[in-house]
Formats: sequence, structure tokens, C-alpha cells
Amino acid sequence: MFDAMLHAFGVIMAPASMLSMLVGTLAGILIGALPGLNPVMAIALMLPLTYSFDPLIALGLIAGIYNGSMYGGAIPAILLKIPGTPSAIATTFDGYPMTRKGMGGLALKTACWSSAVGGTVSAIALMTLAPPLAQMTLAFGPTEYFWVAVFGLTSIAVLVGGDLFKGMLAALLGILIGLVGVDTLSGEERFTFDNLYLIGGFPLMVVLIGLYAVPPILEMAEKQNSAHYDPANFRTHKSSKALQLIRDYWRTWSKSSIIGVCVGILPGAGGNLAALLSYNEAKRNAKEPESFGQGNPVGVAAAECGNSADNASSMIPALTLGIPGNLIAALVLGALMIHGLQPGPRLFTDSADIVFGFIWQLLLTSLLLFVLGGMLATRLFAQVLRLPSTLLVPTTLVLMSIGVYTINGNTTDLYVMLGFGLIGYLLNRMDFPLAPIVLGVLLGPMAESNFRLSMLISQNDWTLFFTRPISQGIIALLLIVLGSQALKYYRRKCGG
Amino acid sequence: MYTVRLLGACALALACTTALASNYPNRPIEIIVPAPAGGGTDSVARMLNQYLEPELKQSAAIINVAGGGGAIGVNQVSRARPDGYTLLSTWNSPITTVPHMQRVQYSYDSLTPITSISQSAYTLCVKPDFPADTAEEFLTELQNNPSRYTYGNDGVGGTMRLAAERIFAAYDIQARAIPFGGAGETLQNFLGGHIDIYGGSIPPVLPYAQDGQAKCLIVTSASDNPALPQASGLEALGHPELETVLWRMMLGPNGMSEAHATVIADAVARALENPELLEFLAKQGEVPVLMRGEDLRAALKNESEALGELLGQLGLKRN
Repeated sequence: MFDAMLHAFGVIMAPASMLSMLVGTLAGILIGALPGLNPVMAIALMLPLTYSFDPLIALGLIAGIYNGSMYGGAIPAILLKIPGTPSAIATTFDGYPMTRKGMGGLALKTACWSSAVGGTVSAIALMTLAPPLAQMTLAFGPTEYFWVAVFGLTSIAVLVGGDLFKGMLAALLGILIGLVGVDTLSGEERFTFDNLYLIGGFPLMVVLIGLYAVPPILEMAEKQNSAHYDPANFRTHKSSKALQLIRDYWRTWSKSSIIGVCVGILPGAGGNLAALLSYNEAKRNAKEPESFGQGNPVGVAAAECGNSADNASSMIPALTLGIPGNLIAALVLGALMIHGLQPGPRLFTDSADIVFGFIWQLLLTSLLLFVLGGMLATRLFAQVLRLPSTLLVPTTLVLMSIGVYTINGNTTDLYVMLGFGLIGYLLNRMDFPLAPIVLGVLLGPMAESNFRLSMLISQNDWTLFFTRPISQGIIALLLIVLGSQALKYYRRKCGG
Repeated sequence: MYTVRLLGACALALACTTALASNYPNRPIEIIVPAPAGGGTDSVARMLNQYLEPELKQSAAIINVAGGGGAIGVNQVSRARPDGYTLLSTWNSPITTVPHMQRVQYSYDSLTPITSISQSAYTLCVKPDFPADTAEEFLTELQNNPSRYTYGNDGVGGTMRLAAERIFAAYDIQARAIPFGGAGETLQNFLGGHIDIYGGSIPPVLPYAQDGQAKCLIVTSASDNPALPQASGLEALGHPELETVLWRMMLGPNGMSEAHATVIADAVARALENPELLEFLAKQGEVPVLMRGEDLRAALKNESEALGELLGQLGLKRN
């Protein structure tokens, strides 16, 4: 296997493959940075053009776009509070406050380094641990998925800062949004009002862009017409030297990487969950959890490292088992099939050069972020802040609308985006936390459908939820997290 | 002056319209795919398009209009002008299944049939330790153990589930349907031992069948499938009429001229002679099938009626 790895490395060092990685990463950062444009769309549109190329050129582009967009999404999240991709939602929590405090440069650098670290760890996990991790994917049935969803939902308790009641309401709103559409288990329609558009439910991407990207634009429009750019913001100061960053973040990076890799091997979960769980864990474990949300760089590091660590590991079920865990993995499998490779258990042995080549490309494009991210983000994108809001607001809104329209080619999506934008704006105004909504939208349906799938499979025997070893493990973890949280709460109450 | 120009434009437009039949298509065509970019339907449409454009000597743009199980895109085409410049490239479910389950404003006979493109069967597979080695033994085992076995499928009203239920109904079999989000998810749960039977498309499970980690015993097409020698087609089981497969086609809005439909159908037929395209389809487990005009309409009618009846029995029919 080691020989195959080394040989593949030689193959991808060919100029064409190197160029495709470079172009892909640059394009990915741009796609990620433009709210509405997303990597899935970009890769789907680009793939047919690569049919006649060498497979590693197509895969290099995919690797670059995938990894680049994860970091790219953080740029508007930090500078404007607008997540460039849904995975960057958690990055806005501390990234934007940092910019407001005059630490925008540090936030961008933190995001860049954390993305690069997360992506690198994930690629290494894919290279060395793919077969055992794939077995874990298989061990997770509906019961385990149910517990994962419950585990994610409990983290709302940590995410909501002050007002628990408002936090719970926000989470319930998220679950409600997730409920709309045809119930996948009975075929019954829920809250669709005989509307064709609502039958498939609200498109997740559109809802998330509406809720998280539109309100900041509206808020920007409210403010007086002034440019936000302050060059002092982006000067490198001492605290952003490489060694210092490593010293500050290595703990967060290691935990977030593990969380990201674990979420990645579970098909269907995705980068935004990885980012939220990582953020959550960093906050839970911090000495001063109150500093999160106020511009704590550790929050940015956790979120960005988590969402990038999801990337390469989400390819594990695809490359080892032929089971695509997300749309990008499905596109990668499609690309392999077009080039005559058969996805499945023998892919690693039959087409070692291509598979290991792709893994190297995922690794190298992550490392490329160290170079490109620093140069691009701070030098180029920060200039966006020079624009007065009279220009910035309409430009961003138009770009976003184009992006959203390209997802499904449906103009109704634009109204839905605006509608959720207004809801998000109002909720912001009333001090409702928005983070629980995304967890509700993502995890509510996941918990429900997996609960019912388990009951279908077990013929309504609920003991199934407690007898399987992995389920028990997740329950134990759940109790530890909740218990420690409760303990902290009582200690503060009694002690203070 | 303006009026003169307008009149001129009108005259030109008229002239073009009359000349259309002979030089159709003379401007780019929009092909609507009622599924998101990156899925199976989309990739076949995009791949076919690469070979279709040179045949038509015109560019053709693939436009993804996803949602409503394909209904939104089909709806859009059914309301488009039937001038031959808006076409639909779809799989069968939005045409023959969705209208039974949702209130849509189209049906199979409100669209102009152009040509079918390709089809692929579904398969039912079990683990190597399952007590059956042939399709007959498999069906007997299921008959003898009602409601014991679980089979994963692509969703409640999905074509895969309907394909399986048609066979099960003919053999009086009760098996428990577990609806997953797609073949990948079904495969994951099958390999992980969470369900007994894999029900889904052939390509994902093929390597496992070749390795002996799965026994594929039935394919839902009438004919056998050479890639799965252990599996029987429905002809071999004596029930060719139960064939239910995933197939793809091109349709136009109601009232599209026959001459235009023939131009497109001819171009698709010629495109499907390209060995690269055939190889691509084979990799996806699909074989080209060319049916056009009234044959295609009849096929849609038969399937729509059979599936409507089955959906009624399953309690899923709304319209």
C-alpha cells in the first residue's frame, strides 16, 4: 500500500494535475466567498467538461473546489457576517465580532490556517484509516443515526447563550421548517397546502442562505452609508505569527479535526453539522464560555477546522464502499465511473493510482490554502470593505440571488430566500439566537425519520435503542456532556 | 419608424416560423431536467447532450429544475410554448407515478412523446447466508415467512418500491418495506446488516455481487442481466408483464409538431450510436432503448395505469 501511495504521488506531480489543483483551489475560494454559489453546483457544471481529460485533472479540480470553498465561505462570514456557504454559519458567531473589534486580519488568518489543518488531518485519515473507518460507517444503522441526531440537538443547550426559552423556541422553529414536505416514511404531505413547491420541503440551502445571509445585508442597509475598511484591521500583528497560532489552537484543532472526521464518515450529516458541533465543543470546554460570540478566535478556529475536516473523510464511504455520503462524493463517484472505474470495495486495489492520487490532491489542496488563503483573503477580499454600503448591499444581494437561482433554477426559491431573510431579521431584532434553528432544520428530520425507520425495522420494539453497543456509547457521551453542563450550572449557582 | 421596424420584425418572425420545419432547430434549445445537477438523470442528460449537439448542429442547454419529485420541472415544460425549443429530459417516475400521488397539472398524455433513451433494471439482493440461491427459492422463502424480512428501497412512492411490490403482489408475499433516501443509503444498511434485502439500482451493489458478499437473485426487467448471472429476469419467472424499470425519455410540450419531434428523435438515435456514450451508459447499468411517437405514449399509458392501480392497493394514491 505504501508503494502505491508513493507511486500515486509521482503521478499527481504532473504539471496538468498541479495546475488543476491550483485552479480548483482558487475557484473554490471564490465560489465559497460568493454567498449563494456553492461547490456542488460548480463541480456538477464543470464535470462534463472534463470527460475527455485525464481523470486526475477532473479530480484535482474537484479537490481544489471542495477544500477551497470551505475556507472561502469563511471570508464573507468574517468580514460581513454573511456565511459564504452554509458550512460557514458557525464561523460568523465569532468571526464577525472579531472584525468589529479590529481583529479581522487575525480572524481571516485563523480561518485559513484552521481550514488547512482540518483538511490536512482529514486527508491523512482518508489515506491511512479508510478501511476501518468505513466499517464504522456500516455499523451505524438508523438507531445510531437517531442518537447522533439527539446528541446534536442537545448541543443547543450549550449554543444558546442567555435565554434558554428563546433558544428552545428557535430550535422548534427549525424543526418545524424541517417538517414541511412529503413525509418520507408514509408518503403523507405535511404543511404543503397542496402547493407543488412545498412537496419536497423547503430546500435546505435556500432556507439557510435566507436565514443567515440576508439579515446581515438588511442590517448593513440600515446603517449609515460608510465604508467599513480600516487598514489597521488587517496588519499582521504579533499574535498571528505561525508559532503563536499553533500554540493557541492546537487543542481546538485536534478536537475539531476528530469531530469533523467522525461527522464526515456518516453519510448525510455534512460540513455544517461538523462546524456547529466543533464550535459547541470548544465553547463547552472553554474556561470562559461567555467570551464565545464576542469575538473569541478559538470559535473561528473550531468552526473552520471542523467543517474542513469533514471534507476528505466524507469521501471514505464513497471510495471504500461505493456509498456516496453527500452530493460531492456522488459527483466524484460519477467522475470515476465516466473514466471507467468501478466504485466499490476493490477501487483501492484496482485503481490505486487514481484513488491515492485523489487523496494526495485533497491533501495538497488543503496545504495550498496556507499559501493562497493568506495572500488572497487579506490582500484582496478585505478590499470589499472599502465599498460603501450603498454599493455593497445591492451587489451582494444580486450575487446571492443569482447563486440561489442556480441551485434549482426556480424563481420561487428567491421569494423563499427573502421570506426567511425577513424572518431571520425579525428574530435577530428580538434577540432570538439563530444557531438553534439550523440545528433544528438539520437534525429534527434526521432524528424523526431514523427513529421511525428503527421502529419499522424492529417492529416497534423500542429496546433496540438501548441494546446496541454503539448506541450505548453515544448515550454515554450524551450523558457526560449534559451532566458536565448541569454540574457547571449548579456550581456557578451555588458558588456564585 | 418604430412601427415599420416592428412590422419588419413580425414579418421576419413569420418567415422564420414557416421555414422552421425545414431548418429546425435554428436557435439554441433548452432541455429541462427535472432533477438537481449531479444526479443520475442529470448526468445522463448532460452526457447525451454532448453527442446530441453535433447531431442537431445547434447548442442545447441543460437546465435543472428540481423539486416536487420532478413535478416542478415537468410542469414547466408542459406549460411551455410547443415550438420545439423547450424540451424535457426525464426519468419515468415524474410522468407515471407522481401524478397519482400529487396534484399536478399535467399527465402522461398532455406531453408530446419524442423518444425514450435508455433503461436500467432494479435488483433484489440478499446476504450470502440467506437460505435461497435462486429467484424461485427466494420467493418461496419470502412466501413462507410473511412480514419477517425487511427490504430497503428508494422511498415510499419510488419506482424501486413499486417494482418490488408488483412482484410481491403476484406471489402473495408480505415483506416489510423500509424506505431509505436512495440506493446508497440502502446499500449502507444492507451491508451493515440492518436490513435483510437490498432493493435498488444495479451499479452500487454490483461489485459486492461479484465478490460474493451479496447474492442478487432478481432483476426487475423482463430479460435477465448478463452482469448478474445468478439473478432471474421476470420473463424467466413467467411474469414479463410485471417489468418495472427506471427509464429515461425526452418529451415536449403538448402540441409540439411531429416533424420537430422526429428531428430530435432521429438525433438521439444517431447520438446513441457513439461507442463512448454506450460505454458510459453501460457503466451506469443502462441499456439504450429507442421507442418513439405513439409507441412511447402507449408505454407511458400502460405503466401509468399499472402503477396507479398498485399505488391504490398500497394506499398511496391521492388522485
